Amino acid sequence: MSNHEESASIRAPVAGLLAWLIPGLGHVYLGLRTRGVVLLVTVTATFWTGVAVGGVRATVDPYERRLWFTAQVCTGGNTIAAYVLRQRVEQRLTPAEKMAPASHWLPADVGVHYTGVAGLLNLLVILDAVARAERPRAVARSRNLATAGSS
Amino acid sequence: MNGLMLALFTSSIDLTGAQRFLLMFPLCLSIAVVYKTTRCETLRELPGAVLLLWVTIVVGMFAVGLGFWVLFTSLV
Repeated sequence: MSNHEESASIRAPVAGLLAWLIPGLGHVYLGLRTRGVVLLVTVTATFWTGVAVGGVRATVDPYERRLWFTAQVCTGGNTIAAYVLRQRVEQRLTPAEKMAPASHWLPADVGVHYTGVAGLLNLLVILDAVARAERPRAVARSRNLATAGSS
Repeated sequence: MNGLMLALFTSSIDLTGAQRFLLMFPLCLSIAVVYKTTRCETLRELPGAVLLLWVTIVVGMFAVGLGFWVLFTSLV
């Protein structure tokens, strides 16, 4: 295995894992800082806008909305934080409050769509980070263009 | 402050149908930003490309909606 192949075989999974954990961090790891920050802000803002609109109980629901939750899991750290928040909220509720609907269907639907789309967008970000890690020349070219004032 | 922030994410916001419709625009913008950030060679060309894609998505969705509406009204 050449150094180039060895480097790519380590960098690709690390970039993918970092991109899953925190959106855009995979790109920052590859040296594409501005691109990473744009992705971080966009994906994170989309996810938490969804949670704010629908409420965490109705939006991040692995029991009633399994497929949507699968999409949300692609945002990694955001979903973990939202799930922990949901568990804390659930612990504070009385049995009667637990039986009541978590939210009206309209904001809940919007929230689920926002968070689900944020997850699927981050899947695209993860795949892009992995693909760029496997093509170091393309990353170097992007970096050079950025430092040349094209950022 | 922490309580206010917590309340923002724990309880839902009441929405009307029109407000739900308007929330389509920022979601389409997010899709356009992420897609173009992964595709553009340089970030300098990003704002123009994002705007073009965002308009394309919104106009495309309106066109599809209008098409279905015309089909529905002509059949019913």
